[in-house]
Amino acid sequence: MSWNWGYAGQIMPTLLRGVGQTFLITAVSGTIALLGGLLIAVARWTGPRAVRVALRLLVEMTRGVPILVLLFFAFYGLPSAGLRPSAFLTGVAVLGCVYAAYCSEVYRGGLASVPRTAWDAAAALGLPTRVTWSRVVLPTVLRANVGALANYIVILYKQTALLFAIGVPVLLTNAQVAGYESFRYLEPFTLAGLLYLLLNLPSVWIIRRIERRVTRGGF
Amino acid sequence: MSTVDGLGPYLPRLADGLLTTCEIAAASIAGAAVVAALLGVLRASRNTPARAASCGAVEFLRGTSVLVQLFWVYYALPSIQGAPRLPATLAAVLVLSLNGGAYGAEIVRSGLLAVPRGQLDACHTLGLPRRVALTRVVLPQALGQIVPAFGSLAVDLAKWTSVVSFVSVQDLLYWGNTVRVATNRTVPVYLLLAACYLALSGAVALVFRAVEYALPVSRARRRSPPPGRSPSAGRSRSPGPVASRRLLPWQGRP
Repeated sequence: MSWNWGYAGQIMPTLLRGVGQTFLITAVSGTIALLGGLLIAVARWTGPRAVRVALRLLVEMTRGVPILVLLFFAFYGLPSAGLRPSAFLTGVAVLGCVYAAYCSEVYRGGLASVPRTAWDAAAALGLPTRVTWSRVVLPTVLRANVGALANYIVILYKQTALLFAIGVPVLLTNAQVAGYESFRYLEPFTLAGLLYLLLNLPSVWIIRRIERRVTRGGF
Repeated sequence: MSTVDGLGPYLPRLADGLLTTCEIAAASIAGAAVVAALLGVLRASRNTPARAASCGAVEFLRGTSVLVQLFWVYYALPSIQGAPRLPATLAAVLVLSLNGGAYGAEIVRSGLLAVPRGQLDACHTLGLPRRVALTRVVLPQALGQIVPAFGSLAVDLAKWTSVVSFVSVQDLLYWGNTVRVATNRTVPVYLLLAACYLALSGAVALVFRAVEYALPVSRARRRSPPPGRSPSAGRSRSPGPVASRRLLPWQGRP
């Protein structure tokens, strides 16, 4: 069997719809990951001991288990708890939570590297806690770690393919369905791979630009 | 929450699956180490075509996820005339090794480049053959940085093996899904699965900690604690990645 351009053109619109879903999922779960990770890290920094231990356990467990297991667990387990979210919602939530755990470690490392003197200076100036966090500590942390965080978002983009497992119509799912309907797998999977690759290529450049822009004049 | 009762008859199957997962993980980690060493050395070399080729290979392999590559090798590759139809397990190990190796290449490269060039010059001045300089001077120091980072990649690889259930390899996740369908006891099945994977990740991490402990740099560090720390403090600390890096203060960024 050889490459068939007509067929490739025919399935392209389906694949591009999958690209749209992939980007939507990356955007939503990326937002959850970035904000959730920050929340976890700040709670682990300031919270009482019980909260710190519980969050640490949760983060370590999330990082030690494959995303697929968590995905199946949520998809099949939540209905038995009386919740029936859609596959899309489940997938976005699971990816968001898993990468929130990863991002929280980045933020935590950033918090640990804020120099003691910065805290002291904020205290000496009489800055309220809220201002110390929002104007002194967090900008420092974000500036130093924007590259690592963006890197996780790129990985998250690639991992959206896993949502194929629960039938969310991401790029890979649409390729599989197209192949299944016509018993031709060469074109759909090759095109899907190329699309993932091509759409990923600018990310390296974009990350470098963001890093350069944000770290300029930083701490 | 219910316990594992009712899953009893299926436990041998799950154990089989766990064994398959462990085998695939071990094979892929070994394969990834080989690929990483090859690509990493090429990436650190001064030969421009070799560097460009390995750079291209790494970017290509890292541009898509393991699942996409696995599907391509397993479903699309056989439709090309003359291409082999790989058995599912082999396809899985191949894809995991290549993908893990691409991530590992970056670790190997930065480990090699972190050893200052001045040391190679010093070896040259001392008249050491290049091979000896690499195996006795550069590599032992580079490994001190490579092994811990490769260890966390190996843990990732152990978790990535779960995608092989999609190409009908009967691994832990495959049997977990089968048992869930048969018993309809979602929560205990997946809790058991999560526990197994956690144990596997922990075991892989432990193996690499042990390798790191046995490295020449770690042994040297234990013999002579770094300046600024009392010998007792040096002994009481476990040799983590950070501790072993402290021996060579020039390591880090080239």
